[in-house]
Amino acid sequence: MSEPAFNHEALLQAVRDLPVDSLTASRRDAANLFVARGFPTVRDEDWKYTDLSNVIEISQQSLQVASAPAAIDEDLLRQTQANLDAHWIVIANGKVLEQHSPGTNIPGVQSGSLQKTDLAIDEPLADLNLALLRDGLKLDICAEFAPDKPLGLLFIDTVENAVASTHARVNISLERNANARIVEAHVSSGPAQHYSNCVLHLDLAEGAVCEYLRLQDRATNHSQTARLNVSLKRDSSLHHGSFDLGGRLTRNDLNVAIQGRNATARFNGLYIVADGQHVDNHTKVDHLVGPAISQQEYRGVLSGHCRAVWNGKAIVHKGADGTDATQANHNLLLSDAAEIDAKPELEIDADDVKCAHGTTVGQLDERALFYLRARGISKPDAKRILTRAFAATIVNTSPISEAHEFLGGQVEERLRTIDDGRQS
Amino acid sequence: MSTESENIEELVNRRYAHGFVTDIASEGLPPGLNEDVVRAISALKEEPEFMLEWRLRAYRQWLEMVEPEWAHVHYPRIDYNSISYYSAPKSDKDRPKSLDEVDPKLLETYDKLGIPLHERARLAGVAVDAVFDSVSVATTFKKKLSEAGVIFCSFSEAVKNHPELVRKYLGTVVPQRDNFFAALNSAVFSDGSFVYIPKGVRCPMELSTYFRINAANTGQFERTLIVADEGSHVSYLEGCTAPMRDENQLHAAVVELVALKDAEIKYSTVQNWYPGDENGVGGIYNFVTKRGDCRGANSKISWTQVETGSAITWKYPSCILRGNNSVGEFYSVAVANNYQQADTGTKMIHIGRNTRSTIVSKGISAGHAQNAYRGLVRVMPQAQGARNHTQCDSLLIGKECGAHTFPYMEIKNPSARIEHEATTSKISADQLFYCRQRGISEEDAVNMIVNGFCKEVFNELPMEFAVEAQALLNVSLEGAVG
Amino acid sequence: MLDIKDLQARIGETEILRGLTLNVKAGEVHAIMGPNGSGKSTLAQVVAGHEDYEVTGGSVQFKGKDLLELAPEERAREGIFLGFQYPVEIPGVNNAYLLKAAVNAKRQHQGLDEIDAFEFLKLAREKMALLEMDPKFLNRGVNEGFSGGEKKRNEILQMAMLEPDLAILDETDSGLDIDALKAVANGVNALRSPDRAIILVTHYQRLLDYIEPDFVHVLSAGRIIRSGDKSLALELEKKGYEWVREAANA
Repeated sequence: MSEPAFNHEALLQAVRDLPVDSLTASRRDAANLFVARGFPTVRDEDWKYTDLSNVIEISQQSLQVASAPAAIDEDLLRQTQANLDAHWIVIANGKVLEQHSPGTNIPGVQSGSLQKTDLAIDEPLADLNLALLRDGLKLDICAEFAPDKPLGLLFIDTVENAVASTHARVNISLERNANARIVEAHVSSGPAQHYSNCVLHLDLAEGAVCEYLRLQDRATNHSQTARLNVSLKRDSSLHHGSFDLGGRLTRNDLNVAIQGRNATARFNGLYIVADGQHVDNHTKVDHLVGPAISQQEYRGVLSGHCRAVWNGKAIVHKGADGTDATQANHNLLLSDAAEIDAKPELEIDADDVKCAHGTTVGQLDERALFYLRARGISKPDAKRILTRAFAATIVNTSPISEAHEFLGGQVEERLRTIDDGRQS
Repeated sequence: MSTESENIEELVNRRYAHGFVTDIASEGLPPGLNEDVVRAISALKEEPEFMLEWRLRAYRQWLEMVEPEWAHVHYPRIDYNSISYYSAPKSDKDRPKSLDEVDPKLLETYDKLGIPLHERARLAGVAVDAVFDSVSVATTFKKKLSEAGVIFCSFSEAVKNHPELVRKYLGTVVPQRDNFFAALNSAVFSDGSFVYIPKGVRCPMELSTYFRINAANTGQFERTLIVADEGSHVSYLEGCTAPMRDENQLHAAVVELVALKDAEIKYSTVQNWYPGDENGVGGIYNFVTKRGDCRGANSKISWTQVETGSAITWKYPSCILRGNNSVGEFYSVAVANNYQQADTGTKMIHIGRNTRSTIVSKGISAGHAQNAYRGLVRVMPQAQGARNHTQCDSLLIGKECGAHTFPYMEIKNPSARIEHEATTSKISADQLFYCRQRGISEEDAVNMIVNGFCKEVFNELPMEFAVEAQALLNVSLEGAVG
Repeated sequence: MLDIKDLQARIGETEILRGLTLNVKAGEVHAIMGPNGSGKSTLAQVVAGHEDYEVTGGSVQFKGKDLLELAPEERAREGIFLGFQYPVEIPGVNNAYLLKAAVNAKRQHQGLDEIDAFEFLKLAREKMALLEMDPKFLNRGVNEGFSGGEKKRNEILQMAMLEPDLAILDETDSGLDIDALKAVANGVNALRSPDRAIILVTHYQRLLDYIEPDFVHVLSAGRIIRSGDKSLALELEKKGYEWVREAANA
């Protein structure tokens, strides 16, 4: 297997060409670290099922083409903001758009620039992200924060005829006992290829509570790798929901470190993967102390020539007694050319634990299909109904309840495209 | 119900019961590995040219391979030049024709191991091909088997007497270059068992082989090949014990199974190689490649294993479900206590239509041991209607051990139905107190709970093996609680 | 038979029994009542020898032996049976197997031969009929997937098989419907004999309608604050626990 060559010298040069600011030294260190390791390959266990060749090509070309960033797609921006009501912070082509970011100015939120200490993540794509980072954002959410609607992070990328890549990074901290609801949305448009590399960090101090909804609906010619590292302190609670509807190649890494007793991490995800798409969700929960609870359920609907990957890992470290970790992953395969690679892993080094995982791959329940048909519903309609019911479980249990209707609509639209594709 | 923990009382001896060294001088090759050693092994065994070439090809491929590092196990690097690749009992030159002619010292050894060869063989109706170090010394019930047309002999004999069968099937399931240890085995294997069941024959008895490692610094490279021709049926039992010793010993066996149309092979293992002492000193490195090929339609291969021994176990008995409607099964109990490391599991490769597989894995970790399940279920695009059910449970005893689960599911056909479940539990203080309140001692309670945990797998074992397996389990876990 | 003097016990830092005295003779049935948290279950667990509880004072004699010196299994073999409030599930270990192992452990302790399989099954079937239990229960995992009522019947079955000298039944009535309650009570009553003592730990008077106690004790804050005959239970039912507590404080 050979990956396309990536010109490391061009990367180092591009990093040197960025304007000098407080991050310059960190960028250069990160660039050197990245050069030492390079892009992950399918020989790396964590990337066994996801080939980054296309991402490498885009990265390479976008380093060479030194064109100015495209103007932002205002229609897409307005439409996304209209669909989901939030105090938005817009990060367009990797830069914070102040005029569209009222979310940085609401009571209880302090925004600022990233410091060197906020940046260390030992992972090649995070190094690449930092090396090419033009603008970072840091948000501190205080206990007084109590807005009428969620805080929104909108990552919008627009390309015209030139291939481009963007690298964005946001660190969010919830103070002790703070309570926040956050929406993170990724959208993009434009004819040329694009690669977005996002790194986010979410810190929940003692007693903090966070509902967090992530929606990825990029153009299907655009690719993305996104990492969210979460740390949970004592008595904190995270409810995370993840929806992957668009994109060409999508890879999400959700890493949760449970660092305090009685923390709870609950995350649900839905991926609807159609012809030509590749969606890879990697989750990892480190139970460093107990008692604590982690629960995850991801579901996938796959159709056309596509591939989905789900790798859930729960690690119970020595001494993390009282850990209760469950993982579930269910997949519906609707076409001959769809492939799912699932890997639910448990690594357990403590004995007073309750861990379980369940994974299924299959089709719709034949008995349920028959039941509906016996009630006079046509077979295609029965299939449509059951497929929607399969997906609705995740929509209905996702965080930020006022977004459910919109999410349901988006899911329906994607499933309808899949239905149409199957009939033709 | 009566088989459970019947022999517990006898098993209070906390030391490894099978640890002693038989004082039989060995005649073998000096340590080291090169092409001349491979040629010498082939010559010693008076092999035909095709075998020598086959071995040399394997050796050359091995030289280019690197030792795998991905398993969840850790051990010092093995110096392959410090191992002697051939040893044999002194009495090799004039091989005994019957048990009466067998070196009495050898028989005594088997007695100490709890294998009263002739008695057991007669009473249980089992033919025993006992392998002492590297050369077969006794084979019983040959006559009854040959009446049925069954070939059950040492691998060396098969090479001499049935070269066409060996040539046709050897390496067709586990190719020489399959992996590092399989390549090494292919180059230097000394002996092992060969079974051929002709068309339509149901093997009249269960076939059984006991293995032993004896001489110091002797790598044990067994090679087993079982071919079940169309419509035939065979149940094969493999059991191991090894003497106590301080140096680590390498064991890299290869087992190949071929099931043709409508044939069924049931392969059961109780593995009890010396695990090392309670401080992790010594013990066998058990790096085994076992694979079955369901080559014909409606064929079935079933692996059942009880792994209690070895310092390190690296073993994935697998099934290639090539024939339509073929069935693969894997039932496993793996116990790791003290400083043992076990990385075991299976691969089910669904290729034919309507193929089915079942995986039941029970891992028990105690002491400072690490126990990992690693499994792959792959459904190829053409495998219409494939089914798999996997149940993967871990039981933890104590705070210093680890239990890990690494299941891979690669599904490329939409008609597949794949279910995977895994749980982790410990023996709870409540369960122990409950049993003790009913008058049952803590040790018996632990054995009872562990045997209950493993029941689904023990049910798959032939009766006498199930008893032995339970006894072994109890011995392996002695001192794990309390 | 059982002589508890000034028993004090705690779990962790929490004192639960604070000087409990109770004397139970062969042939007697005692009911221990009291509000939640008064120490009823602790008393049962301490007598059975649960190691989470630390005895900090007092003594417990059973048939003249110092009970506190014995391991839980030794107490069981001596003839103490605890019917658990929450019987634990032991997956994969079948009920018949546990039962037989328990019976034999006791027989061995008494210097008797192991019970033969046929006799064991016959006996088990007899007892199960009495408790209106389906014989299939014998082949299921211990309490595995049993309903609350099934678990309690199973406890009584074990008691019937083990024929203890002293049976302590901890909240055996909780979670039972009326039919199950009657079946359980029948099982217990069948075991009443001049050689055997029974302690019923219960929160409600209801059970005592079916199993008539000779003595009723009210436990509060780790001590017996009032003892009487079965009329005490009826009075309690009417007036509530506050009444005794006030009376005791007065």
